[in-house]
Order: sequence, then structure tokens, then C-alpha cells
Amino acid sequence: MLRADKLCKAFGALQVTRDVSLDIPQGARHAIIGPNGAGKTTLFNLLAGELAPDAGAILIDDRDITHLPPNRRARLGLSRSFQKNNLFPRQSVQDNLLLADIAARGYGYRFWPRLAARKDAYRKAETIAGQIGLVDDMQRGVAELSYGAQRQLEVGLALMAEPKVLLLDEPTSGMSPEETGRMLRLIDDLPRSLTVVMIEHDMDLVFTHADRITVLNYGEVLMEGQPEEVRGSDAVQETYLGGEAQ
Amino acid sequence: MAHVLQFRHALALVALAALLIFWTQAGYFGMEILAEIAVFAILAMSLDLAAGYAGLVSLGHAALFGFGAYMFALFTVLWGWPASLAVVLATLATGAIALIVGAVVTRVQGVFFIVITLAIGEMGYEFFFKNRALGGDDGLSGISRLDLSAIGVDLNDPGIFALFLIVVAAITYLLLVRLLASPYGAVLTGLHDNPGRMRALGLPVRTYQTSIFAFSGALAGFAGTLSAQHTQFITPNLLHWTTSGEVLVMVILGGLGTLVGPVIGAVVLTLLRHELSNVTDYWGFWLGFFLILIVLGGKNGIVGWLAAGWNALRGARPDDDRAADEPAEGEEASDAAR
Repeated sequence: MLRADKLCKAFGALQVTRDVSLDIPQGARHAIIGPNGAGKTTLFNLLAGELAPDAGAILIDDRDITHLPPNRRARLGLSRSFQKNNLFPRQSVQDNLLLADIAARGYGYRFWPRLAARKDAYRKAETIAGQIGLVDDMQRGVAELSYGAQRQLEVGLALMAEPKVLLLDEPTSGMSPEETGRMLRLIDDLPRSLTVVMIEHDMDLVFTHADRITVLNYGEVLMEGQPEEVRGSDAVQETYLGGEAQ
Repeated sequence: MAHVLQFRHALALVALAALLIFWTQAGYFGMEILAEIAVFAILAMSLDLAAGYAGLVSLGHAALFGFGAYMFALFTVLWGWPASLAVVLATLATGAIALIVGAVVTRVQGVFFIVITLAIGEMGYEFFFKNRALGGDDGLSGISRLDLSAIGVDLNDPGIFALFLIVVAAITYLLLVRLLASPYGAVLTGLHDNPGRMRALGLPVRTYQTSIFAFSGALAGFAGTLSAQHTQFITPNLLHWTTSGEVLVMVILGGLGTLVGPVIGAVVLTLLRHELSNVTDYWGFWLGFFLILIVLGGKNGIVGWLAAGWNALRGARPDDDRAADEPAEGEEASDAAR
């Protein structure tokens, strides 16, 4: 479903992504982990189109999207959430979701019909709000939401696009244990047809919720495998889990 | 949240009523002021679309206004075309120029956007200042008005012309209210609040920014054709950046991204300029003092202050006041769906 072929990216002399290849099948729950500075976020930005790779290719559904801007990738089914909440802070939850629907389905050019007449968009916003547990907060402003609820909305915006591939950038970052639990249930409840790729810091989350893990170190793929394999790998223990335990 | 919009529409109605009452009392000079207010109200609304709603703060907006005026004069005075056709074509020509300019200026953001629009605006000013065929710095005179005698309306009567402009401004307001309630209107606030996220969600951000810049420019050009008919004499000063600054002050004074705010800003600023200059030689000083008072305090211009005052009278919750300071077309949508 999502493939990366020998991606490379350097910032000046610093090579932050080196020959990274991924092949993520439909329905996968794929995690990308690695110590700070391993190049996770850069890889993510390459996949989402915020950065252009120096070399390599990115394919979604066998279609080459290497040179497409983020908005074109989104329209092709690649949707992302952000590590730092990236919402429409002056708007209500409902309006946030509606804006996502307009952008994702490309009817923003319609300047005469009323948005209020798009019952389908309101129904979809209602459905997604149910999925992210914010159905009772539809009319509340984003600024009034708790941090955890904002994180949920962050994922909700990405879901409004009805993506094929969902890229989650540290979905539980900064969350309390309860909020993390809620986010994990949200991720568990996503339809199995959806391909989910996440960057995550929380090891428990990665080992219990991913079915495949790519470990990055110094911009390279250190190893890729199932959670047990990764957990059992000496190299991973040394570079990452050991470091984490300090 | 719909009361935010209702409040603004009520303000618009009050402004319209005030202008109409003033109209019944006004003499020749009063009619001139009314016509000026109506033209600047349209121009300020057009700037609010780009600056207040979409977040594209342009300091070259008057250049588009002046361009529309010059195109109208060129078509009618020099080429002898009928005024009705000239209004349409001058508006479209300004929109076309704004489309080209918009495609360039939306490449940059923030303060660079302000500077590049300023620079392009000054290029326009220089062009008309130096162009002898269009009168250069002497300007162009002999501009005639639309001929509506077929429906028994004589626009050469100052009172009728002022009323005509007020009606045109009111229609413009209603059309823009409709525009802002559309998906396109919602996209504008999305672009204002978070263009990066709009792009990540699938919106071709620059295309949309360019489109609103072009539409806003066309509307400014339309206001220019009205201004040319009002004064019947135009100079390159219409395009000057100080005119852009003045319109931006109207928008900010009234309330960015509120649509009715710029109308109120146009009324207040035009009146203050004329009235204060009768009272004191230091009118610019007092005007500045007034502006500072309005803008300080974190309220969104006059509309923000009025909304806060209204809420205080009703004993409303403080967060209603916050909502009242914000552009709200999405809010109307959410209310209608309830």
C-alpha cells in the first residue's frame, strides 16, 4: 500500500535519511521507532511530502508520489496527524472537521451553495466525532478542549479525509496515562482496511499495538521485524532500549 | 454561536439606516461624503476578504482600486465605450491583473507578503504617474457616470448618485455574506488560521490564496470604477500606498474579518476626517489618538467593542465575547445544521 524505495535526505553535510526502504501492506499497523535524532520525523515529512527527498521514491498503491506536494498526496489517500497539535484554534470541533472535509474532498471552490446545506459533511463529522470520542463537544471551541481531546481531534482531522494510509506522528505525545489509553483504543478501533503508520516514543504502545516495527538509527534502517524480533534483538537493545532505560 | 452573526447583521442594518437618515438630511457636501463612504465601504470589504478572512494582509490594495478607476476612465473617456460595459470590463481587467499579481505574491508569507504587495502597488502608482497618455500626475478628467435614464434615474444628481452607491454597497454586503457562508468562505478562514494544515488535508493552498486575491482585487477594481464616476476626475494618488494604508486602517478600526467592521470603519474614518478637520488643525493627531484607543484593549476594532458592550448589557458569559471577536461563517453553518 505504501512503499518507500531507498529514500535519502541530507541537510547540508548531515545525512538524516540514508537508503530507507519500507514496504507496508494494506491493513498493517506499522511503527517507526528510534532514538532522538534517528531521523523519524524527517522520514515522516518525506512520506507526507513536506520535504522532498534527495534520492529514492515513494509509492502509494503503486503510484509514484515522490514529486507530489502534500495536498496532492492527501487527495490520493495519504493522511497525516501532527506531533504538535495543528488544528484550527479559533473554530469549534465541528467546524474543524468540516474544514477537513472540504479540503479532503475538494469542494472548497463552491462559493454559492451554503455549507450548511451539506448534510453529508455534517453526518460525516458526526461519525468521526463519535470515533474520536468528541461527539458531545461538537460545538465547543478547540481552545476549550483538554490537551488530550485536542490530540484526538488531531487524529479526527486526518480521518475526515477517509485515507487509505494514516500517518500518525507520536499520537500519544504529552498525554496522561488515561488520555494515552483513550488514544490507544481509538487506534485499535480504526477499520482494519486502513493502513496505519506511526512514529512512537512509547515502547509499550509500540510492542502491543504494532504488528511490524522499523527501527531507525542515524538515518538508517537498523532492523525491521515483528515486535518479538525487535524486542529480542541485541542491536536494538543496545542502541535504543538500553538508551531508553538510562 | 449564531448570535455573533445576527449581531453583525444587526450592526449592518443600523449602519445602513444611519446612512439613509443622513441622506435625507444631507446637502450637497453631505452627499459627497456619503458617496465617498459607500465607495470606501466596498473597497474596505474587498480588502477584508483577503486580509481579515484569508489572512493575506496587502498594502497594495489601493493600486487595484486605482487600476479599476483608470481602466474605467480609459474605456469611457479615451476610447468612448459605454459606461456600463466599461464597469464590467474594468472590473474584469482588475481581476485579471490581481490574478497574475496574486500568483506571484502568494509565494511569500507574513511581512514579506506585505512588502511585496507594497512594492507592486508602488509600481502601479509609478506607471500611472508617468504615463502621459493617461494624464500622468495631472490625472484624467471628464469622466461621465452610468446612464440609467432608461429607468428614470439621473445619476448626475448628487443625491441620487449617493443613494445609488449606498444601495450598491448594501447589495455587495449581502452577496459577500452569502459567499462567506459557502464552503469557499469556510476555506478562507481555514487559510487564515492554519494554511499548513489545509495543505496537509488536501487543499491546494496557493491556488485558493490566488483566487481570493483575484476576487478581492476585482471587487476593489469595481469600487474604483465607482470612485471614478463619483469624482469624475482621477489622479495616480488613488493607487498610492497611503490610500492602501487608509483602507487597511478602516478594516482594522472596524474589525478584521467581520465584513460589517470595514463598513463601519469606512463610515467612521471618512466622517472623522471631514468633521475633525473642521474643528481642529490637529485632526490627524486626534484621529491617531482615537485609533489607538480602539485598537488597544485587545478587542477586534469597533465591532469587537460593540459586541463586548452588548454582551455585558445582556450579562452574557465572557466566552461569548471571545466568539464575537472572531470571523464566524463556519459558526453560521453549524447553527443552521442544528
